[in-house]
Amino acid sequence: MKKYLSVFKISFAQEFAYRLNFIMWRVRNVMQIILVFFLWDTVFSNPGRVLFGYDRAKILTYVFGIMIVKSLVLSARAADVAGDIYRGDIMNHLLKPMSYFKFWFTRDISSKALNLLFAVGEFAFLFIILRPPFFLQTDLLALFGFFLSIALAIFIYFNLLFMTSSIPFWAPELGWGSHFLITAIVIEFLSGSLFPIDILPLTIQKILFISPFPYLIFFPIQVYLGRISGSVLLGGLAISLFWAITLWLVMNFIWNKGLRAYQASGR
Amino acid sequence: MKKILRYLNIWWIMSRNSFSIFLSLKLSFLIFLTGKILRFIFFISFLFFILQGTKTLAGYTSNQAIFFFLTFNLVDVMAQFLFREAYRFRPLVVSGDFDLILVKPVNALFRVLMGGADVLDLITIPPIIFAVYYVGRLLSPTTAHTVLFLLLIINGLLIATAFHIAVLALGIITLEVDHTIMIYRDITNLGRFPVDIYKQPLQGILTYLIPVGIMVTLPAKALMGLVTPWGIVSSFVLGIVAIILSLRFWSFALTKYSSASS
Repeated sequence: MKKYLSVFKISFAQEFAYRLNFIMWRVRNVMQIILVFFLWDTVFSNPGRVLFGYDRAKILTYVFGIMIVKSLVLSARAADVAGDIYRGDIMNHLLKPMSYFKFWFTRDISSKALNLLFAVGEFAFLFIILRPPFFLQTDLLALFGFFLSIALAIFIYFNLLFMTSSIPFWAPELGWGSHFLITAIVIEFLSGSLFPIDILPLTIQKILFISPFPYLIFFPIQVYLGRISGSVLLGGLAISLFWAITLWLVMNFIWNKGLRAYQASGR
Repeated sequence: MKKILRYLNIWWIMSRNSFSIFLSLKLSFLIFLTGKILRFIFFISFLFFILQGTKTLAGYTSNQAIFFFLTFNLVDVMAQFLFREAYRFRPLVVSGDFDLILVKPVNALFRVLMGGADVLDLITIPPIIFAVYYVGRLLSPTTAHTVLFLLLIINGLLIATAFHIAVLALGIITLEVDHTIMIYRDITNLGRFPVDIYKQPLQGILTYLIPVGIMVTLPAKALMGLVTPWGIVSSFVLGIVAIILSLRFWSFALTKYSSASS
C-alpha cells in the first residue's frame, strides 16, 4: 500500500511538471462546456419550456454536471500504457515487484484528484459568470446512488482504456489512432459527455443502454438529477456492475494474450 | 504567373509525398478516417435530434441551423487539409531543423504552412461540399447570395490562414505550437452553431476580436440573405487586415529565430 501511495504522490507532482500541458487541457474542457452550455441555454431560452423531459434548470445542471463527472471518470493516465507497449518501456515495469494494473490505477486516481480540484474551481468560476439555474439534489439515497455509479464508471473506464491500450501488442503503430477512435470519438459521444443520451430516438437509446458507454457519464448525472430512482436505479447499477466485472475479465484475457504475443523488440 | 505555377508545382510534389507517407500506414489511415467520419455523423445526428424537438435554433429553421454547421465544417476541413503542416512545426524550431528550410530557395512560410496537405481531410471535403450544396439549395438562395457565400468562404479561409501564420510566428518566439493550435481549433469549434447563440460579450469577441463569426457564420448568413452591405465590406476588410498583420508578425518572428540546437 505504501508503494502505491508513493506512486500517487509522484504522479501528482509529475502533472505539475507539465503545467502548461495541464492548463491547456483544462482550458479546452472549459471551451467545450461553454459551447454546450450556450447551445442548451438558447434551446431553453424560454424559462418555462420542457423538452426531452428536461426543464431549464435540469439541462443546465446536466451541463455543469458533465464538468465534475468527466473530471472524475474520464481523467486518466492509463492511455499512456499504449506508449509503454510500443516503446518497450513496459518491460521495466513488468520486472518490478508491483502490480502493473494497480500502478496505473493509482496514477489514474492521482490524475482524477488533480482534475477534480481544477474542475471545482472552473465550476465555481463559470457558475458565477453564467449564473445558471441549478438543481441541487438533497435526497441522500440519490446522492449515494450517484457516488456508487461514479465508482463503477471509473472502473469501467479503466478497463476500456486498458483494452484500447493493449492494441499495440499486435499493431504498435495503432497506439494513438485507437485512442483517437475509441476514447476521443466513441466514448466522448456515446457516454453522454456532450449531450444527454435520452434526446436520441428510443431505439437508439435501447441499443446504447446495452453498451457500457452511457454508464460512464449519462447514468451518474441522471441519478444525481433524480430522473433515475428506485428499481430503475438498482437495475442501472446492476448493469454497471455487470460491465465492470465483464470488462475486467475481458481486459485480463486480452492483456495475457498480448503479453504472450509481445516480442519486446528493440529492448 | 510563372512564380504561381512554380509554387503550385512545389505544393503538388509536397502533397504527393505527404499522401504517400500517410497511405503507407493503411490501418492507421483507416482508423483516423473512420474517427473523422464518425465524429461528423455523431455531431450532425445530435443537431438533427435537437432540432426535431425544438424546430428552431436561435430563430433559425432546422435547415438553416444545419447549414451553419455544414459551413463550419467546410471551412474547418479545408483549413486542416491545406495547413496540416503547421501542426508539425514545433519539432523543426526546437531541433533547429528550421534552418534547412530557411536556406532553401522556397518561401519558408509557404513550406511550413502548406508543406503537408492532409489526405484524410481531402477525402472528407467532397461529401461536405455535396452536403453544403444539397442543404444550401433547400434555402432557395439567389445567384447573388450564392456568389457572396462563395466569396465569404474564401474570406473565411483567408482569416484561417492568418490564424495559422500567427500560430507559426508565435511558435518561433515561444517554441509553443501544439497547444496554441488546439486552442485555435477549440475557438473555431464555437462556430459549429451560429454565433447568435452566445451572449455578449462572448458574441462580440467571436465576431470582431477572434472573428470566428466572420469565418463561418457570416458566409452561411450571406446565402440566406441575412447580411447587410456594411457587414460584407467590413468582413472583407477584416480578412485583408488579418492576413497583413499575420504576415508582419511572421516577419517579426523570423528576426527572433535563434537557430538554437542546430
